[in-house]
Amino acid sequence: MSNSRIAVDRLSPRQKMVLSALACILAAIVASPLRGVLDPANIVMLFLLTVLVVAVSLGRNPAVLASVLSVLLFDVFFVPPHFSLAVSNLQYLITFAVMLATALITGHLTATLKEQAADAERREQRTHALYEIASRLAGALNDVQVDEIVAQFVSGEFGGRCRLLLGELAAEVHAGTPWYSGELARRVLESGQRQISREEGQVAYLPLKAPMRVRGVLVVQPGEAALLEGDLALLDALASLVAIAVERLHYVEVAQRSEVEMATERLRSSILSALSHDLRTPLTVLVGLADSIFLIRPSLPEPALENARALRDQATRLAGLVANLLEMARLNAGSVTLRQEWQPLEEVVGSSLKLVGDALGRHRLRVELPRDLPLLRFDAVLIERVLCNLVENAAKYSPADGEIRISAALAGDFVELAVSDEGAGFPVPESGQLFEMFVRGHSESATPGTGLGLAICRAIVDAHGGRMRVENPASGGGRIVVSLPRGVPPVVEAEVA
Amino acid sequence: MSETRSQVLIVEDEAQIRHFVCLALEAEGCVVQEAGRLADGLLIAGAGAIDLVVLDLGLPDGDGIDFIRAYRGWSDGPVLILSARTEERHKIDALDAGADDYLTKPFGVGELRARVRALMRRRQRTGGEASPLLEFGDIVVDLAKRQVWRKGEAVHLTPIEYRLLAMMVSHPGQVLTQRRLLAEIWGASYIESSHYLRVYVGHLRQKLEDDPAQPRHFLTETGVGYRFQTGT
Repeated sequence: MSNSRIAVDRLSPRQKMVLSALACILAAIVASPLRGVLDPANIVMLFLLTVLVVAVSLGRNPAVLASVLSVLLFDVFFVPPHFSLAVSNLQYLITFAVMLATALITGHLTATLKEQAADAERREQRTHALYEIASRLAGALNDVQVDEIVAQFVSGEFGGRCRLLLGELAAEVHAGTPWYSGELARRVLESGQRQISREEGQVAYLPLKAPMRVRGVLVVQPGEAALLEGDLALLDALASLVAIAVERLHYVEVAQRSEVEMATERLRSSILSALSHDLRTPLTVLVGLADSIFLIRPSLPEPALENARALRDQATRLAGLVANLLEMARLNAGSVTLRQEWQPLEEVVGSSLKLVGDALGRHRLRVELPRDLPLLRFDAVLIERVLCNLVENAAKYSPADGEIRISAALAGDFVELAVSDEGAGFPVPESGQLFEMFVRGHSESATPGTGLGLAICRAIVDAHGGRMRVENPASGGGRIVVSLPRGVPPVVEAEVA
Repeated sequence: MSETRSQVLIVEDEAQIRHFVCLALEAEGCVVQEAGRLADGLLIAGAGAIDLVVLDLGLPDGDGIDFIRAYRGWSDGPVLILSARTEERHKIDALDAGADDYLTKPFGVGELRARVRALMRRRQRTGGEASPLLEFGDIVVDLAKRQVWRKGEAVHLTPIEYRLLAMMVSHPGQVLTQRRLLAEIWGASYIESSHYLRVYVGHLRQKLEDDPAQPRHFLTETGVGYRFQTGT
């Protein structure tokens, strides 16, 4: 049964028409010997049956042809005078009219019914196909597999070809693709609206709309048959299935990557902390032992104590250097998470000055902070390091009894914190070169240093979304300005006293 | 030195560090017992009569924080942390677990002795008479009458400022973590609102320090908390 129907479906419209005509002629031939036996009314029934059969098996247009042909054949062969279109009894005209109407209506209803049945069947097939592709997509492990599954589906359902464009859409389009327009695909990706181009055959561009965002574009070119409304609905369903599959794969990848990153991160920070421990332990011993020479009773002679003092100072300097190097390594490794909190600038200035302590020597210090500065959001430990480095720098590069000035001011969306000295100023302050690692203003000068200090400062300030610049003010000396973003400080409710 | 010499326990795995810490403590007139491992340290501490523990956080057989937790089970004697870790989190954990103060390696002998002296003084004072009157610099605090004078003049403090002051001056030389101060003065729901603490410490400094930007008494332990110091 279904085999014969598929055979009929394969016929061209013209062949169906011929078949329809043949069926009518066959009916006439079968009926003609019965002419004397049967009433004309029953012969009409025979023709109506033929029309019904034609409508069921061949569809609407052949049924219409069969209706008209049946009336003609009935008129010519079964209504006197025979072999002529003329009608002797005018009553037959009513017979013809009813016969034609009945044939047409029967044919139409049957054909519609048949079409609906075929439609339902097709829908069911598609639902099944969608269900199947959904379960296959759910099992896909990567984008390539998704691509294969979709290609199979499209060639099975539409007999056409397709192309899945994901992520780096532009790059793929440039690789040279003859049958679809990259420009159109990009527009679809941006707008998220389906487009159908009709130049050189129909091509549908379907956005892969996933819950989070449009993940790509599916380009489909069907075989010979044009895309109908039902086909487009199917394609839309396909696109959303593919989109979900692609997004799922994307997040699987993200999860895997972040797992790897976390492992790397853990390894890196454990290496750094081991290194930090291993470097600090001998330095602690060195500083402590040099210090304890002073505890020996009776006291050692002065030259020995002098050596011990030098030993301790150098070890302390080395410790500072190691601290800077480790800090730079941590900053460069990106393993620093800022512990940003809202706090007054005054506090961190105070704690830095206390920390710098001895390094200031005979320098005079002036701190000028306006009382109405807003709270700023920063990591106190890191900003303390910035300030320590800047003040130590200022002390190192300016005359021993010079003044070091720390000031702050509002500047738009930033608060500018400046450390000024009365030294010789900076060589070429306008180039940012001083902030590069291992770059020193005066290379090989007598002043000790590694050129790490300012690089660390900049890395820290950058991490805070701030800026740094060096200036040689007209009044002489040098100045380094750190700008930190103001943001919106939290409200501290006034106390009900 | 006094008749009864203070008993100090040092728990540190690095022999050389133990050695010079011993030297420094003996110069302070203490009797020192040494342990290289956490388990040995707990054994000695458990035997009793320890006045001060100097403790390294990174020990081969465990974390120093575990030692503090165990030790706090039976003793409230002062604990001084030595830490090679620069990360403030570990210090905070140790302080919250019950440590009193910390030193970051490398540290000088002078610093170590000063800290030890401060911790010992507090231990002696808590054992002795308690006076409601406290003097530091040119400030006098009367904890009984809840009044504060500076250079002979009465200073007006808001209730919160006073509570903060009272808490800090009653723990001289001790590092108080942000969490602890926030929880005790503002309440547990303010633990994440560190800016309150910072602003109020700023107020105290404005009212009681000569130079608020370079405080002598209300010191910042950056990233950890605050320390009150009577001043030199």
